[in-house]
Amino acid sequence: MSEKEKSLYGEGVGFERIRRITGYLVGTVDRFNNAKRAEVADRVKHGCSGDA
Amino acid sequence: MIVSVKKRDGREMPFNIEKIADAIVKAFRASGELDEQIKAAQSQMNLLGNDDILNSTALKVSAEVVSLLESSGKTTPDIEEIQDAVEKALTEGGFADTVKSYILYRAERTRVREVNTRLMHTLRDITFSSAKESDLKRENANIDGDTAMGTMLKYGSESAKHFYTMMMLKPEHSRAHSEGDIHIHDLDFYALTMTCCQIDLIKLFKNGFNTGHGHLREPKDIRSYAALAAIAIQSNQNDQHGGQAVPNFDYAMADGVRITYRKAYLNNMVKALMLLTGKEEEEIRPLVKKLHEEMAEMGMVATLVPNERFAQSEAHELSKTFSLETAMHAQKFAEKQAYEETDKATFQAMEAFVHNLNSMHSRAGAQTPFSSINYGMCTDPEAQMVMRNLLLTTEEGLGGGETAIFPIQIFRVKAGVSLNPGDPNYELFKLACRVSAKRLFPNFSFMDAPYNAAYYKPGHPETEIAYMGCRTRVIGNTARPENEITFGRGNLSFTSINLPRIALKMKSIDLFYKELDRMLALVRDQLLERMEVQSRKRVKNFPFLMGQGIWIGSDKLGWNDEVREVLKDGTLSIGFIGLAETLVALTGKHHGESEASHKLGLEIVQHMREFCDRESERLQLNFSLFATPAEGLSGRFLRMDKKLFGVIPGVTDRDYYTNSFHVPVYYKISAFKKIELEAPYHALTNAGHISYIEMDGDPTQNLDAFEKIVRFMAKSGIGYGSINHPVDRDPVCGFVGVINDVCPRCGRAEGHAIDPQKIEELRKKFPGMPAFLGIR
Repeated sequence: MSEKEKSLYGEGVGFERIRRITGYLVGTVDRFNNAKRAEVADRVKHGCSGDA
Repeated sequence: MIVSVKKRDGREMPFNIEKIADAIVKAFRASGELDEQIKAAQSQMNLLGNDDILNSTALKVSAEVVSLLESSGKTTPDIEEIQDAVEKALTEGGFADTVKSYILYRAERTRVREVNTRLMHTLRDITFSSAKESDLKRENANIDGDTAMGTMLKYGSESAKHFYTMMMLKPEHSRAHSEGDIHIHDLDFYALTMTCCQIDLIKLFKNGFNTGHGHLREPKDIRSYAALAAIAIQSNQNDQHGGQAVPNFDYAMADGVRITYRKAYLNNMVKALMLLTGKEEEEIRPLVKKLHEEMAEMGMVATLVPNERFAQSEAHELSKTFSLETAMHAQKFAEKQAYEETDKATFQAMEAFVHNLNSMHSRAGAQTPFSSINYGMCTDPEAQMVMRNLLLTTEEGLGGGETAIFPIQIFRVKAGVSLNPGDPNYELFKLACRVSAKRLFPNFSFMDAPYNAAYYKPGHPETEIAYMGCRTRVIGNTARPENEITFGRGNLSFTSINLPRIALKMKSIDLFYKELDRMLALVRDQLLERMEVQSRKRVKNFPFLMGQGIWIGSDKLGWNDEVREVLKDGTLSIGFIGLAETLVALTGKHHGESEASHKLGLEIVQHMREFCDRESERLQLNFSLFATPAEGLSGRFLRMDKKLFGVIPGVTDRDYYTNSFHVPVYYKISAFKKIELEAPYHALTNAGHISYIEMDGDPTQNLDAFEKIVRFMAKSGIGYGSINHPVDRDPVCGFVGVINDVCPRCGRAEGHAIDPQKIEELRKKFPGMPAFLGIR
């Protein structure tokens, strides 16, 4: 591996983010259409603590 | 003098008066305005035929057109100018009806032209824009719109949609679809396929099957069972546009484990006896093999959990040749070895199965088959071995530790079987929770929800509820009550209603129901129309689905028979999205915010369900109500309604409509409250439903909370549910888990480079790290 290659190892490589959108999974978030991307961004966590 | 004409694309062509006359003849024919004259001419035994009167009149009008154009000084008129002149000449000639039909003809031509132009625009968009820029290319996230085959698929799909909208759909259905009142799902497959099917693998494997490209024999080992399961899913995918589900994965694969164990036991028995007695294989193998065959005929076989009857009988028989001590010694060895080998083979089989379903091609390589498998109810040790290994390989991930996207795994939860400590499959349930906490799958289906339990008959796996793809559920059967089972059945087609649109248009609750009824009737008619198109298909159109007898009843049909009768076991589903926005539009609040809105929400959904039940009874078919997930649709309806009604807070102020009956994703609510609110909608949506909980943090660190939520779903009457959490992965170091801005394992920030030395250091600590090759 050349010095240049070493300095570029991983450059431009994003993280894969898998989310369930409609019951199934897809590769990563960037495969979603605009509406579903917006929905994923809007999602809030549901409190899971305490007793049922 | 007019010598040439300017066409729409700008080219000049020689002027030809006959072309004008032709169009006018067509208009006269359509209006019938010259019919009287023609009749009169005929009764007078006039030698002129009908066409002559038509032609001569048309030519006269055409000449008038020319003089009109010339008098306005045009020497190279364009098409629009000529058509204006034709209208004028016809009007002046007193042909009022013909003017009308000419205008209609002109409008129709314009429409066709525009549709073609629109199609060309669409195709251009597909060709020249990348998926990153083109929303159209990301309509379905499982298709990679950037690849050659993904693009080819999109060409076909968009052109087919244009064709069906123009040529096959009834105008009122086509209009309702294009204007966004309803959405006809999978319109690109309108004249081709039904949605999905639940494949009974046990029936299919018996005597082997033919993929259309070759015959495959009945499998004889767990590895070939698993391989054939994947092939069956792939083959059936080619005959349908929706998902492929296996409703009895545990039961079917257990058979493969049984055979594998028997073989492994035999082999190890031979080895043990060879070692213990010093005899050669040629001597021992035939003896043991013959003995096992004879015992099998009497119903005695070696089993994963050793059975006394076989063991005693085998020991007794072997002791006739060897000592009893040797026989029993060999048995012990063979049992242990065979168990370990079978376990290993099962793991490999499941690993390969998951790999296959994530890499096999469907649709010319644009997608992998859309697969789901249901399991969890079979308590045989062989099935437990299958499920445990399937879960373990899922937990491990694919080659580089990636989360498998397929198959969708559905773990069946039932008290007395898997839900509670002491239940035979409770350990598997715990494992399922652990795996789902890491990999998002399995989802959980609940056998004890009253509307699911209603169909269940113990000892009949075909009556266990199954879910397909994202949520589809097919079990009830009004058309043929004797077939209230999952095996071999599926959805024919489904169409969704834009509920918020109705609320926005009607404003009051009374009027809302009136318009809703109109939409329900419209969708019913459209579904029936499509079913008629499907019914005219023949077995040969579905070589695998029908030709191999997968669809219920199709094994009784001949190659050229219509599939009409057997389709009656399928379902016609009416879906809806945006209940939350509908309630806000009607009452100001959604069902998460107000008890009254929740009550109204249930009434609305109940109303739709009653319509489905009533029509099922009346027509002796299976109409069912579907909680539409709306991948492409959530944005499509919203954009149209925003244009029509503007931005209305809580209704059209976001980029999407909320999935089916869900409480909006942006609304802060506890997991338990959400489950309680959504559960009653599961009972009403008999064509399928799912509820999600978004869990905070890393659920693998909080498995108790994870399990508690699943148990609460079971208790609340949820039919199908899953727990969402972020699953991130750094492709460089292979870390899987929650990654915010920086990878917790290697410390790399998103998009940044890292010293390869550091990765090599980490590899010492994490030997399973994938080799990252991409230097970009």
